[in-house]
Amino acid sequence: MKLATFLKFTLPSAVTMAVLLALPLLMTIWLSVVNCSPVLELQKTEQTGPFGSHVVTAQRFKVDANGQALKSCQFVGFDFYKNILGIQSSSAAGPVDQKLPTDGHNEFLNALSFTLLYTAVTTPFILLIGLVLALVTQKISDRFKGLVISMALLPFIITPVVGALAIKWLFRDDGLVFNLLSHVGVQIYWMSEAWSAKLLVIFYGVWHVSPFAFIVLYAGLQGVPQDSIEAARLDGASKLQVLWFVTLPHLAPLTIFITLIHLMDSYRVFEPILVLTQGVFTTSVQFLTYSILLDESNPYKASAASVLTLVGIGFLLAPLLKRTWNEQRNSR
Amino acid sequence: MSSEILAKLNMPHKFNLSKFALYLALFAWLILNCLPILWMGVISFRDYIDAFSPSLSFNVPLTFANYSNLWIDNKFYQNFYNTCFVTFFVVLISLSIGCLAGYGLSRYKGRIGFILLLVALAFRAIPHSTLLPSFFTMFDALGIRNTSFTLILVLVSINQPFTIWMLRSFFIHIPTELDEAAQMDGCSSFQAFFKVIVPVMWPGIVTTGLFSFLLAYNDFLLSSALTNTEMMTMPAAIANSIHAESESFLMQGIAGAVSITIPLILLIAIFQKQIVSGLTQGAVKG
Repeated sequence: MKLATFLKFTLPSAVTMAVLLALPLLMTIWLSVVNCSPVLELQKTEQTGPFGSHVVTAQRFKVDANGQALKSCQFVGFDFYKNILGIQSSSAAGPVDQKLPTDGHNEFLNALSFTLLYTAVTTPFILLIGLVLALVTQKISDRFKGLVISMALLPFIITPVVGALAIKWLFRDDGLVFNLLSHVGVQIYWMSEAWSAKLLVIFYGVWHVSPFAFIVLYAGLQGVPQDSIEAARLDGASKLQVLWFVTLPHLAPLTIFITLIHLMDSYRVFEPILVLTQGVFTTSVQFLTYSILLDESNPYKASAASVLTLVGIGFLLAPLLKRTWNEQRNSR
Repeated sequence: MSSEILAKLNMPHKFNLSKFALYLALFAWLILNCLPILWMGVISFRDYIDAFSPSLSFNVPLTFANYSNLWIDNKFYQNFYNTCFVTFFVVLISLSIGCLAGYGLSRYKGRIGFILLLVALAFRAIPHSTLLPSFFTMFDALGIRNTSFTLILVLVSINQPFTIWMLRSFFIHIPTELDEAAQMDGCSSFQAFFKVIVPVMWPGIVTTGLFSFLLAYNDFLLSSALTNTEMMTMPAAIANSIHAESESFLMQGIAGAVSITIPLILLIAIFQKQIVSGLTQGAVKG
């Protein structure tokens, strides 16, 4: 295909991504180093009443011709970054009317460390559950396989916010799990303590993602060469040995694939954090930006959190991009 | 292998205990796996007092009040309509521009195509909330925040990296001889694409369409941040029930959550093969 034809084909898609992905990302960098506030102006109105007239002065937002509030922007450098990272601001460059509260704690590192904990704990469980399910499903009769796959897929396909809510309602104080445990004399208020809230988010992650590992590994099992299994069996290998020496090595590239995808998805974990803990006991980088933007209503500080998040994803992505680069280069 | 078949032929009614245990364990696991969703379905037909009560009895009065309160009194049909409208156009536009790009990328061998693919891969990984500050600023300046149109465009662009990667890998498996033959017969490259390639691509288009449907339908973060009450999609609309203290809000949230889930269950039942092939495609084919 010629370059001109290629460009014609890809133009609509490329323009969409340029305008709504690339441009906002560049804009975030700009927004993260400024601080804007609406321009106020003094408005004098003369009020005439029965007892003479007097002038009332009031402050109001200055608006442009379209009725939009005018904003004045100041360059604040890395102040918002320092604020998020809990570094004491030099403050001289800080915004005049809006002093940033710096309580010295590193919001970003907090978010990042739970994200890492979540990833580290969920990944092995997801792979293990996926593998066991795949091995078991392969053993059962064909007519049940469709049903098993459908039922297993449900937690993965379900709307994440709904899935997180379903878990929340199950574990609520006076919900099913709480009541069942109460019957055997254990009372756990799942969402009111740090350890159990963290456990719930991790539980959600395993529950939500293990079907994906199952489906991928199950498909991989179909590709294990039957003759090498039979050859191993003829040579006297036990079933366990066949699994360890023939099947698992065949699945190894797939586990890497699942881990990579899960790594990227964990970095974006958001819904369970919002639904299960409202960011109290657990937080994530994506939640951090969201809460600064919507709860603190500060798009400039949120932009700084965004940029920090993007730097993090850069580190995560570098090996994957390099791998893809090599693969595509070799395939040509 | 063959000895097992022989054994089965000889003793068709032999009861196999370990096999039975396997089935039992598997189905017990699956029910446990679906329990959060099943339980949500059960309590959506109860009053608050029975939905969250220490008594584990199933002998409680059933009610449709949660659903009627939500759908009729609180106009959930409007959110349902918004979801349908938004997802339909997201899928339509994603596939239209995605097919063109995916095809171009599968046929062009130059460096620019490769760079575009890598950039798309990087875009695919960005957390969506990082885009929100800029979206707020951009859309407020243009006065187009809180319109379905904006939400559709945003979801299309979020979907695009994934869509073009997936479609490209389907197009690659269509032999180039097909395009060449069509062009030999006097088709332009666009004619060859629409008349020859697209007709044999339907399975790939359906699978990709399914995933862009899921991405749009399941989105909560962007939909809830970019729309307000009248424009909200279903997942955004039930956000109220996340912090719901009021019993009625909570029960309506449960009914809403079930309402969102039912179409997805149907989707899995109908398109199971396509979902599985879509999930494994990136993995197995490399």
